[in-house]
Amino acid sequence: MKLLVVEDEALLRHHLCTRLSEQGHVVDAVADAEEALYRVAQYNHDLAVIDLGLPGMSGLELIGELREQGRSFPILILTARGSWQNKVEGLAAGADDYVVKPFQFEELEARLNALLRRSSGFVQSTIGAGPLLLDINRKQALLDNQLLALTAYEYRILEYLMRHHQQVVAKERLIEQLYPDDEDRDPNVIEVLVGRLRRKLSGSTGFRPIDTVRGQGYLFTEVCR
Amino acid sequence: MLKHQSHKASSLRVRLMLGAVVTVLLFMLALFPALQKVFTLALEESIEQRLAADASALISAARISKGQLRMPEKLPDEEFDILAARQLGFIYDSQGVLVWRSRSSQQETINYQPKYDGHGHDFLRVKDTEGREFFVYDVEVDLLRGQSAAFSIVTMQPVSDYKSMYDSLRQQLYVWLGFALLLLLGFLWLGLGWGIRSLRTLSAELDEVENGTRASLSDEHPRELLRLTRSLNRLLESERQQSERYRHSLDDLAHSLKTPLAVLQGVGDVMATQPANSEQARTLQGQVNRMSQQVSYQLQRASLRKSGLLRYSVTLKPLVDSLVEALDKVYRDKRVTVSSDFSIDLRIPVEQAALLELLGNLLENAYRLCVSEIRIRAQVLNNYCELAVEDDGPGVPRHQRERILQRGERLDTQYPGQGIGTAVVKDIIDSYNGQLFVEESTLGGAQFRIRFPRH
Repeated sequence: MKLLVVEDEALLRHHLCTRLSEQGHVVDAVADAEEALYRVAQYNHDLAVIDLGLPGMSGLELIGELREQGRSFPILILTARGSWQNKVEGLAAGADDYVVKPFQFEELEARLNALLRRSSGFVQSTIGAGPLLLDINRKQALLDNQLLALTAYEYRILEYLMRHHQQVVAKERLIEQLYPDDEDRDPNVIEVLVGRLRRKLSGSTGFRPIDTVRGQGYLFTEVCR
Repeated sequence: MLKHQSHKASSLRVRLMLGAVVTVLLFMLALFPALQKVFTLALEESIEQRLAADASALISAARISKGQLRMPEKLPDEEFDILAARQLGFIYDSQGVLVWRSRSSQQETINYQPKYDGHGHDFLRVKDTEGREFFVYDVEVDLLRGQSAAFSIVTMQPVSDYKSMYDSLRQQLYVWLGFALLLLLGFLWLGLGWGIRSLRTLSAELDEVENGTRASLSDEHPRELLRLTRSLNRLLESERQQSERYRHSLDDLAHSLKTPLAVLQGVGDVMATQPANSEQARTLQGQVNRMSQQVSYQLQRASLRKSGLLRYSVTLKPLVDSLVEALDKVYRDKRVTVSSDFSIDLRIPVEQAALLELLGNLLENAYRLCVSEIRIRAQVLNNYCELAVEDDGPGVPRHQRERILQRGERLDTQYPGQGIGTAVVKDIIDSYNGQLFVEESTLGGAQFRIRFPRH
C-alpha cells in the first residue's frame, strides 16, 4: 500500500518510514503540510499518517484541506497531547483513528491495517476469492490451502488488485505501490510482474482472475470477500 | 455552603426593606408624641380663646349700679342660659364671693375660688365634686364701663368636650400616619426593586457567562457597579488568556517531550528485533513507557484546573454526541449501540474540557470493552448530579475496583500510554468534590457512576 507519513520530527519520520517499508508498504514521508499537499496531488495514496503538531499549517488544518479536496483515503492521526479535545477535533475534521505518542509500532501497525482493510471494504484480515485466500497480516497468499510462493512485489500487486477487485487498475497505480518516487517508472516491470503472478495463480488449478484491459490497466475479475 | 444559602434566603431587597420599615416606624413613634403635643397645645389655645370670648361677652353684658353688679335677664350669648349647655359663667367679687352664675351652671357644683390678685387672667383646669374636669378661664376686671370695680369673671367648659375632639383628632392622626406609612413602604419597595434590578441583571449576565452564551459582562450597569464589572471582565479575560496560554504551552510541552519518547520507543522496537539486545530493549521500552505515562498523566492533570472565578456547567448532550461520533468512527467495525438516557438540556456542573476528558476516557473504555451495547445515563437529583456510563463487557472484577479508585493506577496495559484514563477520571471527579462508584451494570458489564454536588 502507498502511505503518506507527515511528521516533523526527522528521527521519528525516518523510523516510521523504515518500519512501514519493512511491512511491505511504499512510504511517502514528508515533514510539513505543504509538502504533504503537494505529494497528495501527485500520487494516489491509500492512507495517511498525520502528526497533529506540525509546524506552520497544523495537522488539523491539513486533514480539513485533504477532505475538502475530496481525498477519501483513511487518515490516522498521531497526537502528542492525547487530550480528548484533540482527538475529537481530529476525528471531526476527517481523521479515522488516532494513536497517542509515544506508541509501540505494533499498535500503529494494527490500527493502520484495520483502516486499510476497512477502506477497501474488508472487515476481516483475510481476503478470499475462489480458491485464493490472502492473509493481509502475514502477507501470505494461499491457493487451495497451499502456501503460494510470492515475492514481496508480486504480493503487493496481488493485494492491491484484490482490494480493488472488479475495478480497472492503471499500471501507474501499481508502480506507485512498488516504488516510493518517480525513479524506475518502467511499465514493463509491471507487465513482467503481473505475468509471473498469473502463472503462479493458474498453476495447477487454472485460476485466472487477472484480466488486461487494453490501454487502461488490469482487472481482478473475481469477487473478493 | 450553608452560610451562602442562608444569605440567599434574606435577599438584599428584603434586608433594605426591613431596615427601612424599622427606621420609618421609629421615626413615626418619635413623631407621634410631638404631633400630639402640638395638637393639644393648639386645642387648649383655641379653648382659652373661646372661654376668653365668653368672658368678654359676660363683661360686656354686666352693669354696675350703686356698686352692685347687675346682669341682664337675657344674656347675648344663649349658651349661658341653657341648662344642658356646657358653657358655664360665674362672677365673683374681689373677696371671692360668688355674685352671679349663669343659668347653665345651676346644676354644677364646682369648688373654685378665684384669687383676685391682680394677675390679669388665668387658664387652668379644675374638678367638680363628681370628678368631672373643666377648663377654667378666670379674668379680673377692675374697670367696668368707666367705673372702678373688682370682679373675677370666670368661664368654664368641661374637658370632656375637648376630650372627644382630641380623640377624634388622634384617630385621624393614626389613620393618616398609617396610610402615609403604607404609601411610603410601597414606594420604597418599588424603588428598591428598581435599584436592585441592576444587581439582578448582573447576576443574570454572570449566569450567561457561566453557560457560555456570553463572553463577558456588558457595560450597561449603574456607575457604582461599572468599576466592579470592568474588573470582573478583566479578570475573566486574563483567566481565559492564561488558560489558553497554559493549554498552548502544555501542547508544546507534550509535543516536545513525547515525540522524543516516540523516537526512543522506535529505537527500542528496532533493538528488540535483535535477540542479543532483547534484555536492553525491554528495559528501554519499560522506562519509556513509565516516562510517557507520567508525562501524559501530569499533563492531563495540569490542564484540567478548575476556574476559580466562575462555576461553569456544560450541556451534556452535544458533548456526548461529539464523543460518540468520534468513537463510532474509531470502533466502526464493532457496531456499538449507544443509548442515552438524559434530558436534552441537562447540564453537568463541570467545565467543558474536564467533562470531555472524563467522558472521553470512560466512553473509550466502554467502547473497547463492550460487546455491543453502551448506556449513558444522567439525572439531577436533590443536591447532586448523577452520571453513569455502562457497558455489556466483562465488567471490572471486584478486587480491581478498589485499585481504580486510587490515583495514578492503571488497570489495563493493552495500549501503553493510553491506560491513564481511569486515573484522570478519578482526578477530575476529586477536583469537583464528586464521588466515583465502580459497579456492575444491568447490561452485564461495568458501570461507572459519578456524583457531582450541585452548586
